[in-house]
Amino acid sequence: MNNHETPAASPLVFEAAGLVKEFDEGAVHALRGVDFQIADGEFVAIVGPSGSGKTTLLQMLGALDRPSAGTLLYRGKSLPDFKDDAAYRAHEIGFIFQSFHLLPTFTAVENVLMPMFENDQSGSDRTARARELLKSVGLEQRVNHFPSKLSGGERQRVAIARSLANSPSVLLADEPTGNLDSENAVHILDLLTHLHRQRRMTLILITHDMMVARRASRAIQMKDGRIVFDGDPSKLTANS
Amino acid sequence: MTFLNVVTRGLWRRPIRTGLTLLGIAVGIAAVVTLIGMSRGFITSWTAGMKSRGTDIVVHNMRGSLTPQPFPASTRDRIAHLPGVAGTCNILVNLMSVETAELMILSGREWGGFAWDNLKFVSGRMPNDQMEKAVVLGTTAAEVLKKKVGDTVQIETEELAVVGIADGGAFVENGSIVLSLPLLQQITGNQDKISAIDVRCVAGTDQAGIAKLCEEMSRLIPEAHAEPAGEHLVHTEGYRMINAMSWGTSLLAVIVGVLGVTNTMLMSVFERQHEIAILLALGWRRIRIVRMILLESALLGLLGGIVGIGLGVVGIQLMKSAPAIRGLLEPDLSLNLILIAVTISVCVGVLSGFYPAWRSSRLTPSLALHG
Repeated sequence: MNNHETPAASPLVFEAAGLVKEFDEGAVHALRGVDFQIADGEFVAIVGPSGSGKTTLLQMLGALDRPSAGTLLYRGKSLPDFKDDAAYRAHEIGFIFQSFHLLPTFTAVENVLMPMFENDQSGSDRTARARELLKSVGLEQRVNHFPSKLSGGERQRVAIARSLANSPSVLLADEPTGNLDSENAVHILDLLTHLHRQRRMTLILITHDMMVARRASRAIQMKDGRIVFDGDPSKLTANS
Repeated sequence: MTFLNVVTRGLWRRPIRTGLTLLGIAVGIAAVVTLIGMSRGFITSWTAGMKSRGTDIVVHNMRGSLTPQPFPASTRDRIAHLPGVAGTCNILVNLMSVETAELMILSGREWGGFAWDNLKFVSGRMPNDQMEKAVVLGTTAAEVLKKKVGDTVQIETEELAVVGIADGGAFVENGSIVLSLPLLQQITGNQDKISAIDVRCVAGTDQAGIAKLCEEMSRLIPEAHAEPAGEHLVHTEGYRMINAMSWGTSLLAVIVGVLGVTNTMLMSVFERQHEIAILLALGWRRIRIVRMILLESALLGLLGGIVGIGLGVVGIQLMKSAPAIRGLLEPDLSLNLILIAVTISVCVGVLSGFYPAWRSSRLTPSLALHG
């Protein structure tokens, strides 16, 4: 079911056609022919129950895995055929994970610095940018704290700052509020929405929470490896 | 924060494990420094001893056996006349236990030969003649035996008077008991036998000239070998054995070090596979992960090497003062040996890091989305 019309004016960031992903030599079908287009600057929520294929789809978009069949284009180019998928991950996209995935032996500012080793900036420029990013997520007082000394919400803010390190045009967020209490979840969603608007980034967010999905401008609902709804999040129902 | 900070942070995650691994490498490197230092010291000490005596060529019969094989003293007559030979001195060297000292060098020298000339008397005098039952002690030998001029020293069944204490200008010379050749021949039952002929070339003879003379002497004395002073020890069976044992033991220690570091780095990679996957997901190239693991491993090796050199120096000092060795040889703790030790330790680190680095580079970044 596809109710969504991609705005003609915005160039496409991702185009998927007949996307299939199988595991265990075809015994497990994670994606069973997925088609969609995502335009530049969209905020898309991908929803669905566990095992519906949403995380597998995110892996494809982040070049963490390759499809078994079908095509997946990033700005018109075949993503699985990218020779340097590390450069794609370093410069084109930013990842935000459910469990934050900060490196425990590094401080907040050092965690934000990590993706910047893949760019040509000087050490002092990198540090200045990392501090600036932490300030932009409201953590200027916590730059030298280790993750163990930060609250869940603060950790996710550090992870968000880290995802912005190399100024990507796309943010991929895997259940970013999944490990947070409701108050922190709202703050993180507000922050992501703010960043999406302010930086005009494409934001693709995976969630199983309908409340979170409704903050997006578009929702893609998945079930058993297929898209069962693609359209206005306000029309999304738990049973669709 | 630099890449090196990232590398060092990896090592300090588990300080006890890192410390123990470092100690493992250090013990291996200490073994290298101590054993190789001793075996090299054997050559440098004896070479220095011969240089101080002014010996350019040594005629000996040591190659095929572990200890010098005595040969007739008359052998000297076949080479003494050669052009280019300024002087010769028959020598009989023996290593034996003397009183409380487990091993001492006894150097019987032809009476009136040039091998006596380097002795600078700290106290006492030369023996009056070659049959006087007297010895001259090197300064270290006097310390080891706790003797002074006027005392006696028991060598086998003979009680000999200490008539002089002399500085021979080299470690081995100072560790020796010097006596006349006939006296030592008599004590050891080697009448008319010698273990070496020290040959002094005419002034200005270059290395090529020395080599040519050696060739000529070896042709004239097929039962012995003539070689430039110092080199003759390198080619002996005894030195080869010491050297092989030193390197063999060192190699074993190094292999243990390699296994230790490999184990540590593998554990570290297994523990961090999720973090490595996160770094890959954040855009780190696999080659950067490989560099990180190899650098961690090399740094571990280098630090182990530095500690090992320190331990090796302590080990050398302990061995140097051990009663069995004191005065026999001065361990060679040269810059060259330290550089070899550092190179070995870094190589141990890098070599140990290859497999863990390869394992880490095989990790898939999608692991980051799980867990």
